Amino acid sequence: MPTFIGITLITFFVIHLAPGDPVALKAQTGKSTISTQVSKTIVEETRKLYGLDKPPHVQYGLWLKRLVTLDFGESFKDHRPVLKKIAETLPITLTLNILTIIIIYIISVPIGIFSALNPKSGLDKLITLSLFILYSLPAFWVASILIVFLGGGDYLNWFPIVGVVSDGASSLPWYGFVGNVMWHLVLPVVCLTYGGFAFLSRFARASMLEVIRQDYIRTARAKGLSEWKVIGKHGLRNAIIPLLTLMGTLLPALLGGSVIIEQIFSIPGMGRLSFESVLARDYPTIMAIAAIDAFLTLISILLVDIMYVVVDPRITFEKG
Amino acid sequence: MKQEAVGRKNPPRPPFSKWGLGGIIMLLASCFALLTSCQFRVPKDPFTFIDSIPADPDSLNPIISIDSMQTGINRLIYESLIKLDNTTLKPRPLLAKSWMISKDHLQYTFYLRNDVFWHDGMKFMADDVLYTFEQIRNPNVDAAAARVDLQMVDKFEKLDDYTVRFTFKKPDYKGILFVGMIRIIPKHVFDNGSDFNSHPAGRYPVGTGPYRFVEWRTGKHIILERNESYWGERPDIKRVVHKIISDSNATFQVLKKGELDVGTLRPIQWARQADTKEFNSRFNKHEYYLPICTFIGWNLERPFFKDRRVRTALTHLINREGIKKKMTLGKSKVLTSCFDINDPEYNNNIQPYPYNPEYAKRLLTEAGWVDHNGDGILDKDGVSFQFALLYGGGDAASTRMLTIIREDLEHAGIVMDIQGLEGATLYQQVIERKFGALISGWVNTPNSDPYQIWHSSQINGGSNFIGFSNKEFDELLIKARQEFDDNKRIAMYHRMQEILHEEQPYTFLFAPASLVAIDKRFSNVKVYPRGISMIEWIVKQ
Repeated sequence: MPTFIGITLITFFVIHLAPGDPVALKAQTGKSTISTQVSKTIVEETRKLYGLDKPPHVQYGLWLKRLVTLDFGESFKDHRPVLKKIAETLPITLTLNILTIIIIYIISVPIGIFSALNPKSGLDKLITLSLFILYSLPAFWVASILIVFLGGGDYLNWFPIVGVVSDGASSLPWYGFVGNVMWHLVLPVVCLTYGGFAFLSRFARASMLEVIRQDYIRTARAKGLSEWKVIGKHGLRNAIIPLLTLMGTLLPALLGGSVIIEQIFSIPGMGRLSFESVLARDYPTIMAIAAIDAFLTLISILLVDIMYVVVDPRITFEKG
Repeated sequence: MKQEAVGRKNPPRPPFSKWGLGGIIMLLASCFALLTSCQFRVPKDPFTFIDSIPADPDSLNPIISIDSMQTGINRLIYESLIKLDNTTLKPRPLLAKSWMISKDHLQYTFYLRNDVFWHDGMKFMADDVLYTFEQIRNPNVDAAAARVDLQMVDKFEKLDDYTVRFTFKKPDYKGILFVGMIRIIPKHVFDNGSDFNSHPAGRYPVGTGPYRFVEWRTGKHIILERNESYWGERPDIKRVVHKIISDSNATFQVLKKGELDVGTLRPIQWARQADTKEFNSRFNKHEYYLPICTFIGWNLERPFFKDRRVRTALTHLINREGIKKKMTLGKSKVLTSCFDINDPEYNNNIQPYPYNPEYAKRLLTEAGWVDHNGDGILDKDGVSFQFALLYGGGDAASTRMLTIIREDLEHAGIVMDIQGLEGATLYQQVIERKFGALISGWVNTPNSDPYQIWHSSQINGGSNFIGFSNKEFDELLIKARQEFDDNKRIAMYHRMQEILHEEQPYTFLFAPASLVAIDKRFSNVKVYPRGISMIEWIVKQ
């Protein structure tokens, strides 16, 4: 709770201190020119309308008060309830990012372990090299290349490049609908995942290397256990703990990290919503997104703690 | 080391990672087969016109929404009292069948059509017009931008169910546009007690126009359908889909895939990617100049920009023709003022200054800017010629252009730092006049008035942020507003542009060309000074 208040308080003051004024923007954009005296009273009126005439600490207090009843207010930009805007976008971003995390783990943990078991072999070096090449390719560039070559009109036209679902897909049976969404998600997910492989597989490799040097692995081998049991049971369960810690930090990073990909693939997710809100200085929406991000981060840290107990019998929540 | 040696001698088999990798590949392959087999394509209807917009509009309430996406869509749904003729840009009847202007040009009486119905079947009447203007005036309505325009209207009243009268505070030849071009909203829909700003009709608009609203899926599309009981001539296109595509490269690829009927291209796309046989067989390409003027504004408060000779020299130092060829492949026009190049108001007799660094150097020396202390930078009275130029940082084209300009200035001994800022931040710095120079642009709308850009009363907090002040110009601005004879007024505007050319408060840059590709199945596509209008297009069977 204090963490949560801390995060939102800092966000609140940062966005209010940032240059740019939502009211002035509102009074001027869409108009070709700025006129002086006449618009001053109008700017004041609009400020009052948005509740920006009160001092900042009062504004924050009011925001917290409304938050208790889960009322995030109304967007400055389009006057829709902020919660509704987020409810529309959050599932899309979550689907995208959870899929991404799962794929990153599924692919990079085995790769890491494989490298750890064959350290410094030719294949290990090749894997490392190619993963680092992938890691250093900027996502927006890869996205553009994929769009032109796999989704464009000139070369291969395999994948859709706009949005997450086709028009009229809701008339398909449920598996057709899911398939349609998956088909749309192929390119964005590829762009979001490939950069994560290098980091996580290196991490898995290091963690596994450390574990297989431990005495209990030697003991397990000495007992005559099959290699599968040695690595799968004794090695992996110990090696995976640091990887879980990482998961707690990966989810929030991906929520922020999908801004560019959502923009390029026209995906109406949280990333695009927050980007557009910041440009328009849409304070209620920015605050709500910050609050939800903070909440999700705290939840994922908690989840990781719980998962420790599952994978490592030595860790418990009971005193002892 | 020992461990590794052991590992090498007796390599542990990685059992699961082997089948794991193979399994993943199998899984991915089967997924792919499944997914590509269930592609879902909607058969194309030739009477459906598919367009793209870069983002959702804020709202489709024409009174409070201010973005450019809403304009294009609401143009089809809502109507105003008058419209501008496509070719002559003169007022023409729309919801008002005629109007009368009093002798003193203060009173405008509009006679409304009595055969117009809202999309929900209710009759359009004078009360709707009054309601629209009352909402703009209402301080609780988030219509700051429109309210600024309405300041010049003293009052508006209903004379009978089909007659309304507006009284102005001062005569202004553009007055009729200020009231006549505002889109009229239905009173019976909006006035039901719920809050105006968040009213659901902002997302389900009901208008009088040739198209009815059908569906808005956030982040996906907005669909309109032809209004079969439209009072005027019905358009040929039956359905309009505005797809939301946020990335311009993706938009171009979707256009090439054949999923869009119209696309705006960048010069490089126009010249290279869109010059293929296949593209030309599917699309007709049209080209016209946008009513946009880009410029570099010099902050006249700074010691070096105070002198007219220095500003003229700067214009001679910037190779505008060269930049035009390099950056836009010739698809733009070098300007001599910020009046709309498509308008008779634009003075075509003035020739833009050429690129002439020699002449510029002479002018600078004449003005006293010489490198006295030998550090390679011009100086005068101990001030060296060094300033920062601000621009919208996200704009890659500006960045490239400014690099060229910076180099040219450097050869002449002038140091220009370029600073890219995010939109809202830039706006604040400019309005507080904390800048040396600025690259930006003006968009000419039918009711934009040069008064706000150039009159000396608009220096602090207004659009005249560079601080231009010229007595003759100020007088002309006020006289032109009240001159109802077109020829006389145009003559005044031409004189103003001569003054601008002499004074060079801005270095005027370009009017960019709009490069549009339109599917060949549409005929009767005409290009007007203000662009194209799909309402009149005819679908070839």
